[in-house]
Amino acid sequence: MKRFGRRTFLTFVSASAALLQLSGLPAAQAQTPKNGGTLVATWGGFEPQALFVPAGGGGAPEFTSTKVLEPMLTLDSDLNFHPALATDVTPASDFLSYKIKIREGVTWHDGKPLTVDDIIFNADKYWKPVVAGPALQFYTGIKQTGPNEVTVSFSQPTPEFFFKSVLARVLVIPKHLYDGKEFATNPANNVPIGTGPFKFKEWVRGSHVAYTKNENYWNKGEPHLDNLIIRYWRDPSSRTAAMEAGELQMGVFNPVPAADIKRLVDSGKFVASSSGYLTSAWASTIEFNSRNPIVKDPLVRKAIMHAIDKNFVVDVVFSGRAKAGKSFVSSTNTKFHTGDVEQYKFDPELAKKMLDQAGYPSKNGAPRFSVKLVAAGWFPENGRIGQYVKQQLEDIGVAVELTVPDRPTSFKVIYGDYAFDIAVGNHAAPVELVPVQTNYVTTSGILKGVPFRNANGYSNPELDAVVAKLAVETDETKRTDLARQFQTILARDVPITILAEIESITVASKQVKGYEHLANVLADSWSTIWLDR
Amino acid sequence: MSGVRIQRFLGLLRAFARNRGAVLGMAIIAAVVIVALAAPLMFNYSPLRIVGRPEQWPFTSWRFPLGTDSLGRDVAAMVVYGARTTLMIGIVASLTATVIGVTVGAVAAYFGGWVDEVLTRITELFQTIPNIIFIMSVVAILGQRMENITIAIGLIMWPQIARLTRAEFMSLRDREFVQACKTMGMGNFRIMAGEILPNALPSVIVLASLVVASAILFEAAVAFLGLGDPNVASWGALIGDGRSLIRTSWYICAIPGFAIMLTVLALNLVGDGLNDALNPRLRDR
Amino acid sequence: MRRIILRRLLQAIPLILGVIVLNFALIQMAPGTMLDVITSEQQVSDPEQLEHLRRLYGMDQPSIVQLWNYILSVFRLDLGYSYRHGAPVIDVITAHLPATLILMLTSILLAAIVGVAAGVASSLKVNTIWDALISLCAVFFFAAPTFWLGIMLIIIFSVHLGWFPVGGMRTIGGDPGLFGATLDLLRHLALPAITLGLFYAAIYARVMRASMLEVQGLDFVRTARAKGLSPFRVTVAHVLRNALLPVVTLLGLQLSTVLGGSVVVEAVFNWPGIGSLMVDAVMSRNYPVVLGIFVLSACVVIVANLIVDLAYARLDPRIRAR
Repeated sequence: MKRFGRRTFLTFVSASAALLQLSGLPAAQAQTPKNGGTLVATWGGFEPQALFVPAGGGGAPEFTSTKVLEPMLTLDSDLNFHPALATDVTPASDFLSYKIKIREGVTWHDGKPLTVDDIIFNADKYWKPVVAGPALQFYTGIKQTGPNEVTVSFSQPTPEFFFKSVLARVLVIPKHLYDGKEFATNPANNVPIGTGPFKFKEWVRGSHVAYTKNENYWNKGEPHLDNLIIRYWRDPSSRTAAMEAGELQMGVFNPVPAADIKRLVDSGKFVASSSGYLTSAWASTIEFNSRNPIVKDPLVRKAIMHAIDKNFVVDVVFSGRAKAGKSFVSSTNTKFHTGDVEQYKFDPELAKKMLDQAGYPSKNGAPRFSVKLVAAGWFPENGRIGQYVKQQLEDIGVAVELTVPDRPTSFKVIYGDYAFDIAVGNHAAPVELVPVQTNYVTTSGILKGVPFRNANGYSNPELDAVVAKLAVETDETKRTDLARQFQTILARDVPITILAEIESITVASKQVKGYEHLANVLADSWSTIWLDR
Repeated sequence: MSGVRIQRFLGLLRAFARNRGAVLGMAIIAAVVIVALAAPLMFNYSPLRIVGRPEQWPFTSWRFPLGTDSLGRDVAAMVVYGARTTLMIGIVASLTATVIGVTVGAVAAYFGGWVDEVLTRITELFQTIPNIIFIMSVVAILGQRMENITIAIGLIMWPQIARLTRAEFMSLRDREFVQACKTMGMGNFRIMAGEILPNALPSVIVLASLVVASAILFEAAVAFLGLGDPNVASWGALIGDGRSLIRTSWYICAIPGFAIMLTVLALNLVGDGLNDALNPRLRDR
Repeated sequence: MRRIILRRLLQAIPLILGVIVLNFALIQMAPGTMLDVITSEQQVSDPEQLEHLRRLYGMDQPSIVQLWNYILSVFRLDLGYSYRHGAPVIDVITAHLPATLILMLTSILLAAIVGVAAGVASSLKVNTIWDALISLCAVFFFAAPTFWLGIMLIIIFSVHLGWFPVGGMRTIGGDPGLFGATLDLLRHLALPAITLGLFYAAIYARVMRASMLEVQGLDFVRTARAKGLSPFRVTVAHVLRNALLPVVTLLGLQLSTVLGGSVVVEAVFNWPGIGSLMVDAVMSRNYPVVLGIFVLSACVVIVANLIVDLAYARLDPRIRAR
């Protein structure tokens, strides 16, 4: 067990490079989990609008709903799938269908049993139409092929890792509560009933969500906690104070300001860990709008990239808790990332020369041209990056009008109206590139009004072809090659790229154990977490 | 100006000067104005420029006497340029509010009847809207720019001035000298603007000085909530920026907060002094 | 008395209508609608689904129709449904209301008691060192930006001295019983209530002082003194009672801000009240909730003004005689 822990640790040290300041993961894997206790946790974002948002809703409802509702499979940090509500998922030899065995003896929190009908309902009425439409574009149907078995069929060969990733992401919801009703307004969204290790107890808006142990959980011996409370604070410094006062034991996804992480760790009572964000690799991105003729020019884009010092962003904006981006796929994605693509060293003089070459000289100190820079205001860091980029661009003779709109306005400006020349934003990338990551750069990804899609207008048939192949190639090595091509093309044309890979940190009291091997600590059901009291 | 008017003005000045608090307030305001005007002389770079290591404490380096903020910008530069933002917003917002408020109040009081009813209802309407939320909504609609924030604050503050103007006008409207003017055939506007208004003005001026103070506090609150203009340096924005650093670099919050407090304090003292000078019968307040 | 109430209630109707129309217009003008926010969070790309959602939220109808429907429903006492929260607006508001009421009422009480006492003390010791000191404190607490004051109090009393918790309304977890829960609430309430209260207390102090001084110089007070009444009786029964009038007006004014005045303090102290709800509602263009709060706020203002009018009628004999 100790070796398992070390291997995980080493994977992440090598993947995340020297900037990390881990202060030692608890060597807890050798111990037997203790049962009992109440864990108070939080995350670095805000309270959700509803506890479960069937169509997604972002990190906030993902955090609250995944303790009650479960997926078919789970993914661990070594990229291995484990059975959850599905005990086996096997592809046919032509990869046009998958046989799924459903776990027996599982009951919903209201006592009703989980049946094959539930799974069929989920696939036909929920996953395909509501939550994973783009991912399941070749899905043709599901039918029962055994007492506890279903078969899913596709019109195109579907890679195993890809389909299992989907099964590890989408949640299974109760047919008897959702069938025939509107998903968006179903009252069960705020009083969720699932199969998960925790049962929903109460939600005091503005304060906390409380869960209790599911005594009839299908995995006997789990969960270890008696109670789980997710508390919310708007102000990151309040969370630090709560931790120091013992009111909060665990925070995921950068719960406290970077400066406080060190202080908490130095006190000897807390540990900081960067594992558990494999399927949610956050990054700060910059993209160039192809609809603007000046910024469409690859030479201009490359010049601008040369004027930005990614290390400054990492050191100053993220206080070192980030890594300079090398390609459009994060380096934490050990499956598909390659750093062997065109890089843009920080060289403002070169940038100026390139702009001269591109046909935008600077006459008597007048600006070469002017750009609209929109920094999405949903994270304060974006505003700071925006101000830094503005300064750097002004230094090479480009006039910049900076706006930092609030969340809804940012959605509208960037994804609705495309009213920007350069945009600073974010994405949270899973390991599987198709379709979440690829939607930012494919022609089919352009869908006006839908966020986290291709807003920069890049349309390159060469890239589209690579992505199309990637979606149906079943040989894993060939897929990695295609991914490499994907990144090479993007690094050359630079429609969008990563400025900094944000290191997401979990800060927890030393008493909290059992969370080190998770692929996504935010979206995990936390059945393995225990308190060493 | 006629000799009588000059005499009256000098008398007011003397009354004002007798109040030591008011003189102190005036001095502070003068200092703020001078600093604001001298900003480009003191710092020849934009205050929003990143110039050094972030989060350096004040008095630890000659280059940055007041330290640097979370991005590495010069706090002293931001405070000095922030004074400009503060003064501009304070003055323009209260001017807007005064113009609207005086007009509405005067018209309502002078004409009475249903004009008064309607205008009073409208005044009440604007008073029922929670202030901060109104400003947030306006900024969200029009965009996060200084001009919009100023307009929004002006729109919030005018009801108070309208009410005061209306009260003053109502007490003056039935006086003999107004009747005399009407008999002489003076037009309504001339009576309102030329005869009644100068007498109502003292109270309005006192209120206006307090409105400037409130406008400054509102701008700070709006910037603190993150709705300020990212292209200008402002005291409120500095406080907002420093909020997540209160445990390690609390000077980023403390310094601009102190500056705001000083300015508002000074404005209050000046307002008191004006009140004493212009309303002698209400002395000892 | 009944006339005053009736008049106020009649005035209430156009006021509420005005509030609805004004704020409806405001929200509609803002870029990005609630639909944008919800569809972006739910990543709806299917045009059919978009259309379906638009109809569901009633946004397919022209603004005028939406406005009319809303006005009708308000007068039926139905404030609409917040799709973002998945609950009726009334429920969402009442969930956050108690927290704000506790905070505001406590701070108003604090302000009134402390402010009036300070003002009276200051007027009794006029022009002495005490007077100057109290006046200085008053101006200080008035001038300091509320949120800055709050942050400074947190730094001193929570971070460095550890006397009070850093924020929030309650300590979660554990079952402390009624007494323990009340104590816990008071501990959390202390700093935010003090922050808000000090600002208003400063105002009350200054107004009270001025009012006391003005009333003291009036004829009827001299008469009372001449009649040989004890100074205490003169001060309390005659001077104080009349000097309280402007404070009553101010109290009414403050009461009418009970729904909006705590927005910033709630942000600083993470107090789960209407202020935080409002900020979130504006940020997400959740106009049912924003309108609901505005309507409620208008009602509160009307009630507060009514109370002030009635109190004035009782306190000022000149008005009563009418």
